Amino acid sequence: MVEIGLEELYSDIILDYAKNERYKKEIQNAKKAEGKNLSCGDEITLYLKVEDNIIKEITFTGHGCIISQASASMMCEYLEGKTVDEANKILQEIIKMSQGKEFDKELVDGIEIFSDISKFPMRTKCFTLAWHTLDDALNGEKM
Amino acid sequence: MLSSKEYEEIFPSLKRKINGHKLIYLDNAATTLRPKEVMDAVNEYSLNHHANVHRSTHTLAAEATQYYEDARSKVANFINADPEEVIFTKGATESLNLVAYSVADSNLLRSDDEILIPTIEHHANFVPWQQIAKIFNLKIKYYSAKNGIFDSSDFLKHVTNKTKLVSITALSNVTGQLIPVNTLVKQLRNIRQDIIIVVDGAQAVPHMPIDVKQMDCDFLAFSGHKMLGPTGIGVLYGKRKYLNVMTPFLFGGEMIDKVSTDGTTFNVLPYKFEAGTPNVDGAVGLAKAIEILESIGMDNIQEHDKQLTLYALKKLKELDFLEIFGPQDETQQSIISFNIKGVHPHDVAHLLNDLTGVAIRSGHHCAQPLMKEFGTTATCRVSFYLYNEEEDVDKLCEGLKKVWEWLK
Repeated sequence: MVEIGLEELYSDIILDYAKNERYKKEIQNAKKAEGKNLSCGDEITLYLKVEDNIIKEITFTGHGCIISQASASMMCEYLEGKTVDEANKILQEIIKMSQGKEFDKELVDGIEIFSDISKFPMRTKCFTLAWHTLDDALNGEKM
Repeated sequence: MLSSKEYEEIFPSLKRKINGHKLIYLDNAATTLRPKEVMDAVNEYSLNHHANVHRSTHTLAAEATQYYEDARSKVANFINADPEEVIFTKGATESLNLVAYSVADSNLLRSDDEILIPTIEHHANFVPWQQIAKIFNLKIKYYSAKNGIFDSSDFLKHVTNKTKLVSITALSNVTGQLIPVNTLVKQLRNIRQDIIIVVDGAQAVPHMPIDVKQMDCDFLAFSGHKMLGPTGIGVLYGKRKYLNVMTPFLFGGEMIDKVSTDGTTFNVLPYKFEAGTPNVDGAVGLAKAIEILESIGMDNIQEHDKQLTLYALKKLKELDFLEIFGPQDETQQSIISFNIKGVHPHDVAHLLNDLTGVAIRSGHHCAQPLMKEFGTTATCRVSFYLYNEEEDVDKLCEGLKKVWEWLK
Protein backbone atom coordinates (compact mmCIF):
# COMPACT_ATOMS: atom_id res chain seq x y z
CA MET A 1 0.00 0.00 0.00
CA VAL A 2 1.07 3.51 -0.76
CA GLU A 3 1.63 5.70 2.26
CA ILE A 4 -1.21 8.15 2.80
CA GLY A 5 1.30 10.99 3.03
CA LEU A 6 2.48 10.41 -0.52
CA GLU A 7 -1.08 10.42 -1.87
CA GLU A 8 -1.65 13.71 -0.11
CA LEU A 9 1.65 15.18 -1.22
CA TYR A 10 0.89 14.41 -4.84
CA SER A 11 -2.86 15.04 -4.61
CA ASP A 12 -4.83 16.29 -7.62
CA ILE A 13 -5.07 19.72 -6.02
CA ILE A 14 -1.30 20.01 -5.72
CA LEU A 15 -0.75 18.66 -9.23
CA ASP A 16 -3.25 21.24 -10.53
CA TYR A 17 -1.45 24.07 -8.76
CA ALA A 18 1.87 22.87 -10.16
CA LYS A 19 0.47 23.02 -13.71
CA ASN A 20 -1.36 26.31 -13.15
CA GLU A 21 0.44 29.05 -15.11
CA ARG A 22 -1.75 31.89 -13.86
CA TYR A 23 0.89 33.30 -11.52
CA LYS A 24 3.88 32.24 -13.55
CA LYS A 25 4.98 35.45 -15.23
CA GLU A 26 7.22 38.44 -14.78
CA ILE A 27 5.87 41.80 -13.59
CA GLN A 28 7.67 44.89 -14.86
CA ASN A 29 8.89 47.45 -12.29
CA ALA A 30 8.06 45.16 -9.41
CA LYS A 31 10.01 44.34 -6.29
CA LYS A 32 12.05 41.25 -7.08
CA ALA A 33 13.61 38.49 -5.00
CA GLU A 34 15.48 35.41 -6.08
CA GLY A 35 15.49 32.09 -4.26
CA LYS A 36 17.52 28.96 -4.91
CA ASN A 37 17.83 25.48 -3.55
CA LEU A 38 21.52 25.01 -4.17
CA SER A 39 21.53 21.25 -3.78
CA CYS A 40 18.78 20.64 -6.37
CA GLY A 41 19.30 23.62 -8.64
CA ASP A 42 15.70 24.79 -8.26
CA GLU A 43 15.35 28.53 -8.76
CA ILE A 44 12.52 30.99 -8.48
CA THR A 45 12.20 34.72 -8.93
CA LEU A 46 9.36 36.36 -7.08
CA TYR A 47 7.75 39.62 -8.30
CA LEU A 48 5.81 41.73 -5.87
CA LYS A 49 3.78 44.92 -6.35
CA VAL A 50 2.79 46.54 -3.06
CA GLU A 51 0.52 49.59 -2.92
CA ASP A 52 -0.73 51.16 0.33
CA ASN A 53 0.77 48.23 2.20
CA ILE A 54 -1.39 45.82 0.15
CA ILE A 55 0.02 43.13 -2.11
CA LYS A 56 -1.64 44.14 -5.38
CA GLU A 57 0.19 41.70 -7.59
CA ILE A 58 2.44 38.73 -6.89
CA THR A 59 3.91 36.35 -9.48
CA PHE A 60 6.92 34.10 -9.98
CA THR A 61 9.17 32.62 -12.65
CA GLY A 62 11.70 29.79 -12.49
CA HIS A 63 11.84 26.03 -12.49
CA GLY A 64 11.63 23.20 -10.03
CA CYS A 65 9.75 20.09 -8.98
CA ILE A 66 5.99 19.73 -8.56
CA ILE A 67 6.17 20.59 -4.87
CA SER A 68 8.13 23.81 -5.36
CA GLN A 69 5.99 24.93 -8.31
CA ALA A 70 2.69 24.13 -6.60
CA SER A 71 3.83 25.85 -3.44
CA ALA A 72 4.82 29.03 -5.30
CA SER A 73 1.61 29.06 -7.29
CA MET A 74 -0.54 28.52 -4.20
CA MET A 75 1.36 31.16 -2.27
CA CYS A 76 0.79 33.79 -4.95
CA GLU A 77 -2.93 33.04 -5.12
CA TYR A 78 -3.23 33.16 -1.35
CA LEU A 79 -1.34 36.39 -0.79
CA GLU A 80 -2.82 38.48 -3.59
CA GLY A 81 -4.83 41.24 -1.91
CA LYS A 82 -3.45 40.64 1.58
CA THR A 83 -1.58 43.31 3.51
CA VAL A 84 2.15 43.04 4.07
CA ASP A 85 1.54 42.49 7.80
CA GLU A 86 -0.89 39.67 7.07
CA ALA A 87 1.60 38.13 4.66
CA ASN A 88 4.29 38.21 7.32
CA LYS A 89 2.02 36.53 9.86
CA ILE A 90 1.04 33.87 7.33
CA LEU A 91 4.71 33.33 6.50
CA GLN A 92 5.50 32.66 10.15
CA GLU A 93 2.71 30.09 10.43
CA ILE A 94 3.81 28.42 7.19
CA ILE A 95 7.37 28.05 8.46
CA LYS A 96 6.05 26.53 11.71
CA MET A 97 3.92 24.13 9.69
CA SER A 98 6.88 23.11 7.54
CA GLN A 99 8.82 22.29 10.70
CA GLY A 100 6.02 20.10 12.04
CA LYS A 101 5.21 22.56 14.82
CA GLU A 102 1.79 23.81 15.99
CA PHE A 103 0.42 26.44 13.63
CA ASP A 104 -2.66 28.58 13.21
CA LYS A 105 -4.80 26.65 10.69
CA GLU A 106 -7.17 29.56 10.10
CA LEU A 107 -4.36 31.80 8.93
CA VAL A 108 -3.13 29.31 6.33
CA ASP A 109 -6.51 28.08 5.16
CA GLY A 110 -6.03 25.87 2.08
CA ILE A 111 -2.26 25.72 2.30
CA GLU A 112 -2.49 23.23 5.15
CA ILE A 113 -2.87 20.68 2.36
CA PHE A 114 0.95 20.75 2.67
CA SER A 115 0.86 20.12 6.42
CA ASP A 116 2.46 16.68 5.96
CA ILE A 117 5.52 18.21 4.32
CA SER A 118 7.49 18.01 7.56
CA LYS A 119 7.26 14.22 7.27
CA PHE A 120 9.30 14.43 4.07
CA PRO A 121 12.51 16.08 5.27
CA MET A 122 14.07 15.84 1.81
CA ARG A 123 11.15 17.75 0.29
CA THR A 124 10.54 20.41 2.95
CA LYS A 125 12.94 22.77 1.21
CA CYS A 126 11.02 22.36 -2.06
CA PHE A 127 7.87 23.57 -0.32
CA THR A 128 9.54 26.42 1.58
CA LEU A 129 11.56 27.81 -1.37
CA ALA A 130 8.78 30.20 -2.42
CA TRP A 131 8.10 31.25 1.15
CA HIS A 132 11.74 31.92 2.00
CA THR A 133 11.94 33.97 -1.19
CA LEU A 134 8.88 35.89 -0.04
CA ASP A 135 10.60 36.54 3.29
CA ASP A 136 13.52 37.96 1.35
CA ALA A 137 11.20 40.10 -0.81
CA LEU A 138 9.30 41.48 2.18
CA ASN A 139 12.00 41.73 4.80
CA GLY A 140 15.36 41.22 3.13
CA GLU A 141 17.56 43.71 1.38
CA LYS A 142 15.86 45.44 -1.53
CA MET A 143 17.19 44.31 -4.86
CA MET B 1 30.07 -12.67 -8.31
CA LEU B 2 28.08 -13.67 -5.23
CA SER B 3 24.33 -14.31 -4.98
CA SER B 4 21.92 -11.65 -3.73
CA LYS B 5 21.42 -13.67 -0.51
CA GLU B 6 25.18 -13.63 0.08
CA TYR B 7 25.34 -9.89 -0.56
CA GLU B 8 22.53 -9.34 1.94
CA GLU B 9 24.71 -10.94 4.59
CA ILE B 10 27.67 -8.73 3.69
CA PHE B 11 25.69 -5.47 3.36
CA PRO B 12 23.06 -5.19 6.14
CA SER B 13 21.40 -2.21 4.39
CA LEU B 14 20.27 -4.56 1.63
CA LYS B 15 17.85 -6.09 4.11
CA ARG B 16 16.19 -2.75 4.73
CA LYS B 17 12.54 -2.31 3.79
CA ILE B 18 11.47 1.02 2.33
CA ASN B 19 7.71 1.55 2.68
CA GLY B 20 7.33 -2.22 2.78
CA HIS B 21 9.47 -2.76 -0.31
CA LYS B 22 12.88 -4.35 -0.38
CA LEU B 23 15.51 -1.64 -0.80
CA ILE B 24 16.92 -1.48 -4.32
CA TYR B 25 19.96 0.75 -3.97
CA LEU B 26 20.87 2.43 -7.26
CA ASP B 27 22.76 5.47 -5.94
CA ASN B 28 26.24 3.98 -5.89
CA ALA B 29 27.85 6.85 -7.77
CA ALA B 30 26.99 9.03 -4.76
CA THR B 31 28.19 6.55 -2.18
CA THR B 32 28.20 2.78 -1.78
CA LEU B 33 26.63 0.66 0.93
CA ARG B 34 28.76 -0.46 3.85
CA PRO B 35 29.90 -4.02 4.32
CA LYS B 36 29.68 -5.16 7.94
CA GLU B 37 33.27 -6.39 7.72
CA VAL B 38 34.51 -2.87 6.96
CA MET B 39 32.82 -1.43 10.01
CA ASP B 40 34.03 -4.36 12.14
CA ALA B 41 37.60 -3.61 11.07
CA VAL B 42 37.17 0.07 11.95
CA ASN B 43 35.72 -0.92 15.33
CA GLU B 44 38.49 -3.38 16.05
CA TYR B 45 41.12 -0.75 15.33
CA SER B 46 39.23 1.96 17.13
CA LEU B 47 38.45 0.06 20.31
CA ASN B 48 41.66 -1.92 20.75
CA HIS B 49 44.57 -0.33 18.86
CA HIS B 50 43.88 3.36 18.56
CA ALA B 51 46.45 6.01 19.47
CA ASN B 52 48.04 8.84 17.55
CA VAL B 53 50.29 7.71 14.70
CA HIS B 54 53.98 8.42 14.05
CA ARG B 55 54.51 10.16 17.37
CA SER B 56 54.74 8.33 20.66
CA THR B 57 56.77 5.19 21.36
CA HIS B 58 54.18 3.28 23.37
CA THR B 59 52.60 0.05 22.18
CA LEU B 60 49.26 1.47 21.02
CA ALA B 61 51.03 4.21 19.05
CA ALA B 62 53.13 1.57 17.34
CA GLU B 63 50.06 -0.53 16.53
CA ALA B 64 48.10 2.45 15.23
CA THR B 65 51.03 3.44 13.03
CA GLN B 66 51.24 -0.12 11.74
CA TYR B 67 47.51 -0.14 10.89
CA TYR B 68 47.79 3.19 9.11
CA GLU B 69 50.87 2.32 7.08
CA ASP B 70 49.50 -1.13 6.24
CA ALA B 71 46.42 0.61 4.86
CA ARG B 72 48.63 2.84 2.75
CA SER B 73 50.51 -0.17 1.37
CA LYS B 74 47.19 -1.86 0.60
CA VAL B 75 46.01 1.18 -1.36
CA ALA B 76 49.37 1.51 -3.13
CA ASN B 77 49.27 -2.13 -4.18
CA PHE B 78 45.65 -1.76 -5.34
CA ILE B 79 46.60 0.91 -7.92
CA ASN B 80 50.18 -0.30 -8.48
CA ALA B 81 51.85 2.73 -6.88
CA ASP B 82 54.61 3.04 -4.30
CA PRO B 83 53.40 3.74 -0.74
CA GLU B 84 55.16 7.12 -0.51
CA GLU B 85 53.21 8.24 -3.57
CA VAL B 86 49.91 7.58 -1.76
CA ILE B 87 48.62 10.54 0.23
CA PHE B 88 45.57 10.08 2.41
CA THR B 89 43.04 12.90 2.15
CA LYS B 90 39.43 13.21 3.20
CA GLY B 91 38.21 12.40 -0.30
CA ALA B 92 38.64 12.98 -4.03
CA THR B 93 37.55 16.61 -3.58
CA GLU B 94 40.39 17.37 -1.18
CA SER B 95 42.79 15.40 -3.38
CA LEU B 96 41.93 17.54 -6.41
CA ASN B 97 42.11 20.76 -4.40
CA LEU B 98 45.51 19.70 -3.11
CA VAL B 99 46.90 19.10 -6.62
CA ALA B 100 45.38 22.26 -8.06
CA TYR B 101 46.61 24.55 -5.31
CA SER B 102 49.99 22.97 -4.83
CA VAL B 103 50.81 22.68 -8.53
CA ALA B 104 50.02 26.37 -8.97
CA ASP B 105 51.81 27.42 -5.79
CA SER B 106 54.93 25.46 -6.82
CA ASN B 107 55.30 27.42 -10.07
CA LEU B 108 54.87 24.30 -12.16
CA LEU B 109 52.78 26.39 -14.54
CA ARG B 110 54.34 29.36 -16.32
CA SER B 111 52.37 32.41 -17.34
CA ASP B 112 51.89 31.29 -20.96
CA ASP B 113 50.94 27.73 -19.95
CA GLU B 114 47.32 26.69 -20.20
CA ILE B 115 45.09 24.46 -18.09
CA LEU B 116 42.49 22.51 -20.09
CA ILE B 117 39.34 21.18 -18.40
CA PRO B 118 36.44 19.39 -20.14
CA THR B 119 32.90 20.53 -19.34
CA ILE B 120 31.85 16.98 -18.43
CA GLU B 121 33.73 17.26 -15.13
CA HIS B 122 32.27 17.04 -11.63
CA HIS B 123 32.47 20.39 -9.84
CA ALA B 124 35.29 18.94 -7.71
CA ASN B 125 37.41 18.70 -10.86
CA PHE B 126 36.20 21.99 -12.30
CA VAL B 127 35.91 24.64 -9.60
CA PRO B 128 39.40 24.13 -8.04
CA TRP B 129 41.07 24.71 -11.43
CA GLN B 130 38.88 27.68 -12.22
CA GLN B 131 39.66 29.20 -8.82
CA ILE B 132 43.42 28.60 -8.83
CA ALA B 133 43.55 30.11 -12.33
CA LYS B 134 41.93 33.19 -10.83
CA ILE B 135 44.11 33.32 -7.71
CA PHE B 136 47.43 32.62 -9.47
CA ASN B 137 46.51 34.48 -12.65
CA LEU B 138 46.85 31.39 -14.86
CA LYS B 139 45.27 30.67 -18.23
CA ILE B 140 42.44 28.16 -18.24
CA LYS B 141 40.51 26.78 -21.21
CA TYR B 142 37.46 24.56 -21.25
CA TYR B 143 36.65 21.82 -23.70
CA SER B 144 32.95 21.74 -24.41
CA ALA B 145 31.80 18.17 -25.00
CA LYS B 146 28.97 18.22 -27.58
CA ASN B 147 25.75 16.77 -26.13
CA GLY B 148 27.72 15.96 -23.02
CA ILE B 149 29.63 13.18 -24.78
CA PHE B 150 33.41 13.36 -24.61
CA ASP B 151 35.12 12.78 -27.97
CA SER B 152 38.86 12.09 -27.65
CA SER B 153 39.80 13.18 -31.17
CA ASP B 154 37.78 16.39 -30.87
CA PHE B 155 39.30 17.02 -27.44
CA LEU B 156 42.84 16.52 -28.74
CA LYS B 157 42.25 19.27 -31.32
CA HIS B 158 42.04 21.66 -28.36
CA VAL B 159 45.38 20.54 -26.97
CA THR B 160 48.40 22.56 -28.08
CA ASN B 161 52.03 22.85 -27.01
CA LYS B 162 50.78 25.55 -24.61
CA THR B 163 48.58 23.05 -22.78
CA LYS B 164 50.54 22.29 -19.64
CA LEU B 165 47.88 20.64 -17.51
CA VAL B 166 44.83 18.50 -18.25
CA SER B 167 42.52 17.26 -15.53
CA ILE B 168 39.92 14.76 -16.62
CA THR B 169 37.61 12.15 -15.21
CA ALA B 170 38.12 8.50 -16.13
CA LEU B 171 34.38 7.84 -15.88
CA SER B 172 31.69 10.51 -16.03
CA ASN B 173 29.67 10.71 -12.83
CA VAL B 174 26.59 11.70 -14.85
CA THR B 175 26.60 9.71 -18.10
CA GLY B 176 28.82 6.81 -17.03
CA GLN B 177 30.91 7.41 -20.14
CA LEU B 178 34.27 5.63 -19.90
CA ILE B 179 37.05 7.95 -20.98
CA PRO B 180 39.90 5.99 -22.63
CA VAL B 181 42.42 7.55 -20.26
CA ASN B 182 45.31 5.16 -20.94
CA THR B 183 45.29 6.00 -24.65
CA LEU B 184 44.57 9.65 -24.02
CA VAL B 185 47.61 10.03 -21.75
CA LYS B 186 49.89 8.75 -24.53
CA GLN B 187 48.26 11.06 -27.08
CA LEU B 188 48.63 14.04 -24.75
CA ARG B 189 52.31 13.30 -24.13
CA ASN B 190 52.85 13.13 -27.89
CA ILE B 191 51.65 16.71 -28.13
CA ARG B 192 53.60 17.94 -25.13
CA GLN B 193 56.03 15.65 -23.31
CA ASP B 194 55.97 17.54 -19.99
CA ILE B 195 52.19 17.91 -19.80
CA ILE B 196 50.78 17.30 -16.31
CA ILE B 197 47.86 14.87 -16.39
CA VAL B 198 45.46 14.66 -13.46
CA VAL B 199 42.82 11.94 -13.46
CA ASP B 200 39.66 12.14 -11.36
CA GLY B 201 39.20 8.49 -10.50
CA ALA B 202 36.30 8.94 -8.07
CA GLN B 203 33.95 6.89 -10.29
CA ALA B 204 36.48 4.73 -12.14
CA VAL B 205 38.63 3.37 -9.32
CA PRO B 206 35.72 1.57 -7.58
CA HIS B 207 34.56 -0.08 -10.80
CA MET B 208 37.61 -1.33 -12.73
CA PRO B 209 41.23 -2.40 -12.35
CA ILE B 210 43.48 0.67 -12.24
CA ASP B 211 47.23 0.60 -12.71
CA VAL B 212 48.80 4.04 -12.40
CA LYS B 213 52.08 2.91 -13.94
CA GLN B 214 50.29 1.60 -17.01
CA MET B 215 48.01 4.63 -17.16
CA ASP B 216 51.03 6.92 -16.74
CA CYS B 217 48.95 9.74 -15.29
CA ASP B 218 50.76 12.16 -12.98
CA PHE B 219 48.01 12.33 -10.37
CA LEU B 220 44.97 10.21 -9.55
CA ALA B 221 42.27 11.20 -7.05
CA PHE B 222 39.60 8.96 -5.53
CA SER B 223 37.33 8.51 -2.49
CA GLY B 224 36.95 5.60 -0.09
CA HIS B 225 33.20 5.90 0.38
CA LYS B 226 32.41 5.14 -3.28
CA MET B 227 34.22 1.79 -3.01
CA LEU B 228 32.69 0.25 0.14
CA GLY B 229 34.86 2.27 2.52
CA PRO B 230 33.89 4.85 5.14
CA THR B 231 33.37 8.55 4.39
CA GLY B 232 36.13 11.02 5.18
CA ILE B 233 38.96 9.02 3.63
CA GLY B 234 40.31 9.47 0.14
CA VAL B 235 43.52 9.20 -1.80
CA LEU B 236 45.76 11.30 -3.92
CA TYR B 237 48.30 9.36 -5.92
CA GLY B 238 51.08 11.52 -7.35
CA LYS B 239 54.27 10.81 -9.21
CA ARG B 240 57.24 11.21 -6.90
CA LYS B 241 58.97 13.66 -9.25
CA TYR B 242 56.09 16.12 -8.82
CA LEU B 243 55.27 15.49 -5.17
CA ASN B 244 58.90 16.08 -4.23
CA VAL B 245 58.99 19.57 -5.70
CA MET B 246 55.47 20.59 -4.70
CA THR B 247 54.76 22.82 -1.72
CA PRO B 248 52.47 21.42 1.00
CA PHE B 249 48.76 22.20 0.83
CA LEU B 250 48.16 22.18 4.59
CA PHE B 251 50.62 23.12 7.30
CA GLY B 252 50.85 21.88 10.87
CA GLY B 253 51.98 18.88 12.83
CA GLU B 254 53.32 15.70 11.25
CA MET B 255 54.24 17.38 7.96
CA ILE B 256 57.33 19.22 9.25
CA ASP B 257 61.05 18.44 9.43
CA LYS B 258 62.51 21.34 11.46
CA VAL B 259 60.59 24.29 12.80
CA SER B 260 62.06 27.47 14.20
CA THR B 261 61.25 31.16 14.20
CA ASP B 262 63.55 31.42 11.16
CA GLY B 263 61.41 29.08 9.10
CA THR B 264 60.33 25.50 8.55
CA THR B 265 61.51 22.59 6.47
CA PHE B 266 59.12 19.83 5.57
CA ASN B 267 58.85 16.10 6.14
CA VAL B 268 59.46 13.49 3.44
CA LEU B 269 56.75 11.93 1.25
CA PRO B 270 53.95 11.26 1.83
CA TYR B 271 53.90 12.96 5.25
CA LYS B 272 54.68 16.35 3.75
CA PHE B 273 51.08 16.36 2.51
CA GLU B 274 49.42 14.92 5.61
CA ALA B 275 49.29 17.71 8.18
CA GLY B 276 47.55 16.99 11.47
CA THR B 277 46.31 13.75 12.99
CA PRO B 278 45.13 11.63 10.07
CA ASN B 279 41.89 9.67 9.69
CA VAL B 280 43.29 6.30 10.72
CA ASP B 281 39.81 4.80 11.23
CA GLY B 282 38.98 5.72 7.64
CA ALA B 283 42.23 4.32 6.29
CA VAL B 284 41.66 1.02 8.12
CA GLY B 285 38.12 0.84 6.72
CA LEU B 286 39.31 1.60 3.21
CA ALA B 287 41.96 -1.12 3.45
CA LYS B 288 39.29 -3.65 4.43
CA ALA B 289 37.05 -2.45 1.60
CA ILE B 290 39.90 -3.02 -0.86
CA GLU B 291 40.37 -6.53 0.53
CA ILE B 292 36.72 -7.29 -0.18
CA LEU B 293 36.90 -5.83 -3.69
CA GLU B 294 40.08 -7.77 -4.44
CA SER B 295 38.56 -11.00 -3.19
CA ILE B 296 35.78 -10.58 -5.77
CA GLY B 297 38.19 -9.27 -8.38
CA MET B 298 38.15 -5.85 -10.06
CA ASP B 299 37.96 -7.50 -13.51
CA ASN B 300 34.84 -9.35 -12.41
CA ILE B 301 33.31 -6.20 -10.96
CA GLN B 302 33.92 -4.27 -14.17
CA GLU B 303 32.48 -7.04 -16.33
CA HIS B 304 29.43 -7.31 -14.06
CA ASP B 305 28.85 -3.54 -14.12
CA LYS B 306 29.28 -3.37 -17.90
CA GLN B 307 26.80 -6.16 -18.56
CA LEU B 308 24.29 -4.76 -16.09
CA THR B 309 24.58 -1.29 -17.63
CA LEU B 310 23.96 -2.68 -21.13
CA TYR B 311 20.96 -4.62 -19.83
CA ALA B 312 19.59 -1.49 -18.13
CA LEU B 313 20.13 0.62 -21.25
CA LYS B 314 18.18 -1.93 -23.30
CA LYS B 315 15.33 -1.98 -20.78
CA LEU B 316 15.21 1.80 -20.28
CA LYS B 317 15.17 2.40 -24.06
CA GLU B 318 11.93 0.38 -24.18
CA LEU B 319 10.25 3.06 -22.06
CA ASP B 320 9.19 5.68 -24.60
CA PHE B 321 8.48 8.32 -21.96
CA LEU B 322 12.19 8.54 -21.06
CA GLU B 323 14.92 10.75 -22.44
CA ILE B 324 18.32 9.10 -21.88
CA PHE B 325 21.57 11.10 -21.82
CA GLY B 326 25.06 9.92 -22.71
CA PRO B 327 26.57 7.48 -25.22
CA GLN B 328 24.10 4.62 -24.52
CA ASP B 329 26.45 1.92 -25.75
CA GLU B 330 29.29 -0.28 -24.49
CA THR B 331 31.41 2.81 -23.71
CA GLN B 332 29.09 3.46 -20.79
CA GLN B 333 29.51 1.76 -17.45
CA SER B 334 27.83 1.71 -14.04
CA ILE B 335 25.89 4.97 -14.46
CA ILE B 336 22.86 6.06 -16.53
CA SER B 337 21.18 9.49 -16.54
CA PHE B 338 17.67 10.06 -17.87
CA ASN B 339 14.54 12.11 -17.44
CA ILE B 340 10.86 11.32 -17.61
CA LYS B 341 9.58 13.76 -20.21
CA GLY B 342 7.93 16.74 -18.54
CA VAL B 343 8.49 15.54 -14.99
CA HIS B 344 11.03 17.01 -12.62
CA PRO B 345 13.67 14.46 -11.45
CA HIS B 346 12.97 15.17 -7.76
CA ASP B 347 9.40 14.06 -8.17
CA VAL B 348 10.52 10.92 -10.00
CA ALA B 349 13.09 10.01 -7.34
CA HIS B 350 10.68 10.66 -4.49
CA LEU B 351 7.81 8.64 -5.97
CA LEU B 352 10.13 5.83 -7.04
CA ASN B 353 11.41 5.55 -3.50
CA ASP B 354 8.04 5.63 -1.79
CA LEU B 355 6.17 3.49 -4.32
CA THR B 356 8.82 0.84 -4.99
CA GLY B 357 11.80 1.18 -2.63
CA VAL B 358 14.15 1.99 -5.53
CA ALA B 359 16.75 4.57 -4.44
CA ILE B 360 18.04 6.80 -7.24
CA ARG B 361 19.65 10.23 -7.36
CA SER B 362 18.05 13.33 -8.80
CA GLY B 363 19.60 16.75 -9.36
CA HIS B 364 22.51 18.30 -11.22
CA HIS B 365 24.99 15.76 -9.83
CA CYS B 366 27.54 18.51 -9.14
CA ALA B 367 27.98 18.93 -12.89
CA GLN B 368 26.18 22.12 -13.90
CA PRO B 369 28.37 22.77 -16.99
CA LEU B 370 27.41 19.29 -18.26
CA MET B 371 23.72 19.89 -17.49
CA LYS B 372 24.03 22.96 -19.71
CA GLU B 373 25.37 20.77 -22.55
CA PHE B 374 22.26 18.61 -22.14
CA GLY B 375 20.04 21.69 -22.13
CA THR B 376 18.55 20.75 -18.77
CA THR B 377 19.06 21.63 -15.12
CA ALA B 378 18.70 18.21 -13.54
CA THR B 379 18.43 14.52 -14.35
CA CYS B 380 17.55 11.23 -12.71
CA ARG B 381 20.61 9.04 -12.27
CA VAL B 382 20.89 5.34 -11.56
CA SER B 383 24.24 3.83 -10.70
CA PHE B 384 25.13 0.20 -10.10
CA TYR B 385 27.64 -1.74 -8.07
CA LEU B 386 28.58 -5.34 -7.44
CA TYR B 387 25.47 -6.16 -5.37
CA ASN B 388 23.01 -5.00 -8.06
CA GLU B 389 21.46 -7.47 -10.49
CA GLU B 390 19.13 -7.58 -13.49
CA GLU B 391 16.12 -7.99 -11.19
CA ASP B 392 16.92 -4.55 -9.71
CA VAL B 393 16.77 -3.05 -13.21
CA ASP B 394 13.42 -4.77 -13.82
CA LYS B 395 12.07 -3.28 -10.58
CA LEU B 396 13.41 0.12 -11.59
CA CYS B 397 11.56 -0.09 -14.92
CA GLU B 398 8.31 -1.23 -13.27
CA GLY B 399 8.69 1.64 -10.80
CA LEU B 400 9.27 4.18 -13.56
CA LYS B 401 6.07 2.99 -15.27
CA LYS B 402 4.17 3.53 -12.02
CA VAL B 403 5.62 7.02 -11.62
CA TRP B 404 4.73 7.83 -15.22
CA GLU B 405 1.15 6.64 -14.69
CA TRP B 406 0.92 8.81 -11.59
CA LEU B 407 2.31 12.02 -13.02
CA LYS B 408 1.76 11.99 -16.79
